Amino acid sequence: MTEISDSIDTSLTAQLAHGILPQPTSDEFARQEFVKSLKYHLATQISPGNKEALAARAAPAFAKAQGRPPETMEDVRSAMRDEPYFTFWSALQRNSQEMMWKSVQIPVERQLPDLISRARTIEDASGSLDLDPALPIPAYHRAVDIHCLPGGYHSEFTDDDVANGACYDRAVYLYAMGRMGPLNSDIGDTTIAFIKERFPDFAPARILDLGCTVGHSTLPYCDAWPDAEVHGIDVGAPVLRYAHARAEALGKTVHFSQQNAEQTNFPDGHFDLIISHILVHETSNRAVRNIMREAHRLLRPGGIVVHAETPPYRDLPAYDAFMLDWDTRNNNEPFWGASHGLKATDIAAETGFDLAHAFEAYQPSAFDAAQAKRTAVFQGGDFGGGGAWWLWGVRKQA
Amino acid sequence: MTAAVQLQKKAQGDRPQYFDDPAIDKVLAITLALAGETAVMRDRMDTIERLLETGQPVTRAAIDGYIPGETVRVERDAWREEFLANILRIVQQEREGLARAAGLDLRYDDAVALVES
Repeated sequence: MTEISDSIDTSLTAQLAHGILPQPTSDEFARQEFVKSLKYHLATQISPGNKEALAARAAPAFAKAQGRPPETMEDVRSAMRDEPYFTFWSALQRNSQEMMWKSVQIPVERQLPDLISRARTIEDASGSLDLDPALPIPAYHRAVDIHCLPGGYHSEFTDDDVANGACYDRAVYLYAMGRMGPLNSDIGDTTIAFIKERFPDFAPARILDLGCTVGHSTLPYCDAWPDAEVHGIDVGAPVLRYAHARAEALGKTVHFSQQNAEQTNFPDGHFDLIISHILVHETSNRAVRNIMREAHRLLRPGGIVVHAETPPYRDLPAYDAFMLDWDTRNNNEPFWGASHGLKATDIAAETGFDLAHAFEAYQPSAFDAAQAKRTAVFQGGDFGGGGAWWLWGVRKQA
Repeated sequence: MTAAVQLQKKAQGDRPQYFDDPAIDKVLAITLALAGETAVMRDRMDTIERLLETGQPVTRAAIDGYIPGETVRVERDAWREEFLANILRIVQQEREGLARAAGLDLRYDDAVALVES
């Protein structure tokens, strides 16, 4: 490091360099910054042209063939299928995603032995890590590597591997273009704000974060309810090893264990609050119901389960829904589309809850510093750009 | 230098083919990768210039270890935005045409038909 560089940047416009975050060389950093700029340019300058392409070319062609203008999301999809502007933007967007992973893999690969060594030698941990090498990885994670992360959350490339945790932590920051804050905590912070507004007297003693990956959404719960015992589970060992090291480096006490949210080893009624952050869309129709049945078992009477996601298509204009659906076919997110049709009341009623206590809500993003750079639309490749998170869940009857 | 452990480079799952000729998909990926490497080189030159300006030794260690603070990041963000606008100009040009056509409800074919009629 030279004197004119900031060794630890604490500004809101950089990711906080906590103890386990891979440190890039200047070239590696520049490559990641290019990806961030490319994604921002695509979201703000190129993607909006899709709407103009629909108006100028695709919708008139659809109307000519069908005798009516495109009205539904399916109509827009049909109209845009062979639209060359949309095709070219899609190709650019897919490349930006692949370039993002490549740009984070290079420094992780270079310093992997050091990262593993640091994760192995945590002293005086206040939290814990409990791995289960025999845990089956669900089919919906083995079928394709979700959002194009090579190897997904679960693949291990060496002993005690943390690589894909390290890749994910940095990539979340780049994907969100910094708009989830220095600790990528915006979804957790926003969900907490919702819970405190909706249930002001609710004070959870035990909290469980499902599909926690590297714990970036989990840690804010330690500060929101300092007396609570916080647990995080995930199916992927590399992300959990990294999560544990990250939490300890940041001085937060979380108990991480390798478990499938569909069936855990916690006792009945053990938790007051169960949350997930952009987990549901990475499961399946069957799994999300299993997860909710398990949440019903794990919650004490009066406990609450909340899932944070992007808006259901029914709440969006047809064009916006079509653009948000891009990930289903273009970004290895096979359950993205179907998950955006879920209804809180339906799932609650099917999984043992009282549907009268189900809720769906929008909560403005907690990270104010990001507002100026928001694109104010939910779209493929920029799902954090909308400035709000969609929350759904249910309170178990007291 | 080859790292001791190689990570998986391709995500499991078929990669979508966007163009009729798969060679176009490859050429686009290569072009974007080259744009990225050009930006990396430009940032490296910028680092060298800044080290020189402040009278610091310009060693490889100093260059490789340089991570910009917020002021420099903002300047580089602005440079990359201009760079991207330049190299993606052909796409922007199509967008402008579409915006005009959407506004006027007049497609290029309509204009041809207009003057040919």
